[in-house]
Amino acid sequence: MDFGWSTEQQALRARVEAFAAAHLPADWENTASLSPGSQAVTDFSKVFCPRLAEEGLLASHWPVEHGGGGASAWDHFIVGEVLWEAGEPRGPQYYNVNWIGPTILAYGTAEQKERHLARMLAGDVIWCQGFSEPSGGSDLAGIRTRADRVDDARYRVNGQKIWTSYARLAEFCFLVAKTGPARRDVSVFLLPMDRPGITVRPIASVVGDGDLHEVFFDDVEVLESERLGPEGKGWEVIRFSLDYERVGIPRYALALKTLHRAVAELQAEGSFGPDAELAAATALAQCEAARMLVYETVDKRMRGRPDTGSASMARYGVVLAERAVADFVLDWTPHLFTGDAAPMVATHHKRAIAAGLAAGAAEIQLNLVARDVLGLGR
Amino acid sequence: MDFTLSDDQQLLLSSFESLLDRYRALPVGEHGYVAWDAAFQQELAASGFAEVASQPGFGPLDAALLVEAAAACPRGVEAAASLLAGPLLTGPLLGQPAAPLALAWGLGKPVRYLAQAGTLCLFDGDTALVGTPREGDFTVREGVSAYPMARLDRVPAGAQRIVGDAARALHRRALIGLAAEGAGLMRGALDHTVAYVKERQQFGQPLGHFQAIQHRLAECAQAVRGAKLLALRAAHADEPGLAAIAALHVQATMRQVITDCHQFTGAMGLTLEFPLHLWTYRLKVLQGEAGGRAAQARRVSAHAWQSAQTSKREAA
Repeated sequence: MDFGWSTEQQALRARVEAFAAAHLPADWENTASLSPGSQAVTDFSKVFCPRLAEEGLLASHWPVEHGGGGASAWDHFIVGEVLWEAGEPRGPQYYNVNWIGPTILAYGTAEQKERHLARMLAGDVIWCQGFSEPSGGSDLAGIRTRADRVDDARYRVNGQKIWTSYARLAEFCFLVAKTGPARRDVSVFLLPMDRPGITVRPIASVVGDGDLHEVFFDDVEVLESERLGPEGKGWEVIRFSLDYERVGIPRYALALKTLHRAVAELQAEGSFGPDAELAAATALAQCEAARMLVYETVDKRMRGRPDTGSASMARYGVVLAERAVADFVLDWTPHLFTGDAAPMVATHHKRAIAAGLAAGAAEIQLNLVARDVLGLGR
Repeated sequence: MDFTLSDDQQLLLSSFESLLDRYRALPVGEHGYVAWDAAFQQELAASGFAEVASQPGFGPLDAALLVEAAAACPRGVEAAASLLAGPLLTGPLLGQPAAPLALAWGLGKPVRYLAQAGTLCLFDGDTALVGTPREGDFTVREGVSAYPMARLDRVPAGAQRIVGDAARALHRRALIGLAAEGAGLMRGALDHTVAYVKERQQFGQPLGHFQAIQHRLAECAQAVRGAKLLALRAAHADEPGLAAIAALHVQATMRQVITDCHQFTGAMGLTLEFPLHLWTYRLKVLQGEAGGRAAQARRVSAHAWQSAQTSKREAA
């Protein structure tokens, strides 16, 4: 057991921090507060990610034969911590490197890998995740969008997705659709968003512009060669991707930065008394607990022992950490939440509010912990 | 970063678990508030685990693993102070501290294992007084806490004052021990409760099938695992800021674990026959140990924020 970073890992963190400092514009914090799916952040991601790729930092953990750096997943995680804390200048492209790319690596055909991984490595392709529907959110098995066979080479997709982040600017959708009569007959498709029959409507939200959309599919053609994994085996692919997604964002990093910012404000005012100290230290401890739970999940995955219960426990710990910090800000430094003195505080709040919903509602995580960790299923 | 036990750690822990296995079952028909066992304590002292855990190649992380495992065992044994703070007293300071080692946070306060202790360490500001408690130094207190408790009435004659880095190290190890012991106690309580809700039937099904119960126990599982990992990280780093974070987290999360474990074991959990109280009533003592959450928060704050404040003030 070792809970420290090696000298090389510490040097990597310093390098990423220096890179971010050198490549983020002076008004970056204002841009970041617009949300990762906004036009401004998406545009910037297409400038920032290619630079990150040149530095070998965009997908350092992918295998060398697929254009990655062959480094450990920890290297990628360190990059993620620094960049998430900085307001995520990769914009929606963190999806690509965190979970879509790794899922294609695990389940994709040679042709799919060649087509998609190179684009992700170039740092200028946007994806969206076609999971939730009006009839199936937390109950993902309740989806109704269908991909019906037309012939040996084609399917036709009909249905609707909702709450889809980044859909308006996305080139591809990681689409889940039913391909058979049973509840569990689902398949995953890598669908180009410019196919005729796709309509995207933005939904205004408190998270920020570009975060939520409705996506309609009317007789949209998708090719057999665009299906990821075997027909009807979509659940396995989805479970794999969710284990990555649930701990993919080091949310505690921005939460801690926000907490430090709020404490500094109170200290500057001379009002960081014992009550605030207790609330702040308790929130800090929950952030650190979440960090350790996330690290444990990443460690298990790296050793080829992925474990849904562990990822869900980590995700729930992260949700509590986000809530503790958001509450601390609202209780003790409400002026940072409503004012414009610290844009990253509002940014944290906008992103924290989705922590208990994205990648499966917090209650779904608790179901999985009860079943997989405690053995309490029916 | 590596969350896997080394081969040496696995060997150490599995042989320690086989020692614990002999004390996991409570003697039939003996139901008391306190399940401290002198024979268990003697066997632990004679087993050489304390010596092994302080050998080169081992360290506080290994000691914390043992402390967590011992705390999950229902039969009580003083392990945290002996295994984590004890090695610091060995040698030039005191020779060999005699187990149990009692840690006191102030005169006039109840202290765990004090009447049984071979050695007492009383924290006094930035220093520590270490000596041998004798009759007249303390008053035994009966209670329901599941630890043998006594009130410390005076500083033992001949106690040595330890100052500076040595005192700070003792303090740090005490907090790491508190965190590791608390994490193990929470695990013991949760495991026992989970086993109970799988068996106990109401409305024609096990309690564990009800989602209201599943969710709260799943929340407890998150708290227990997080507390253990923070304790182990603090032990690995042997650093005061991380020790304070781990101690604070265990004291902040144990309240929910105590409440929920008792809630879901119903009246059975209130009986002395059912061992839940041996974990939860120890936790209730640890909840206020070392000054409780407010004191841990001050310690966390001193490491995380006061240095920033000081440098800001200096800059101004």
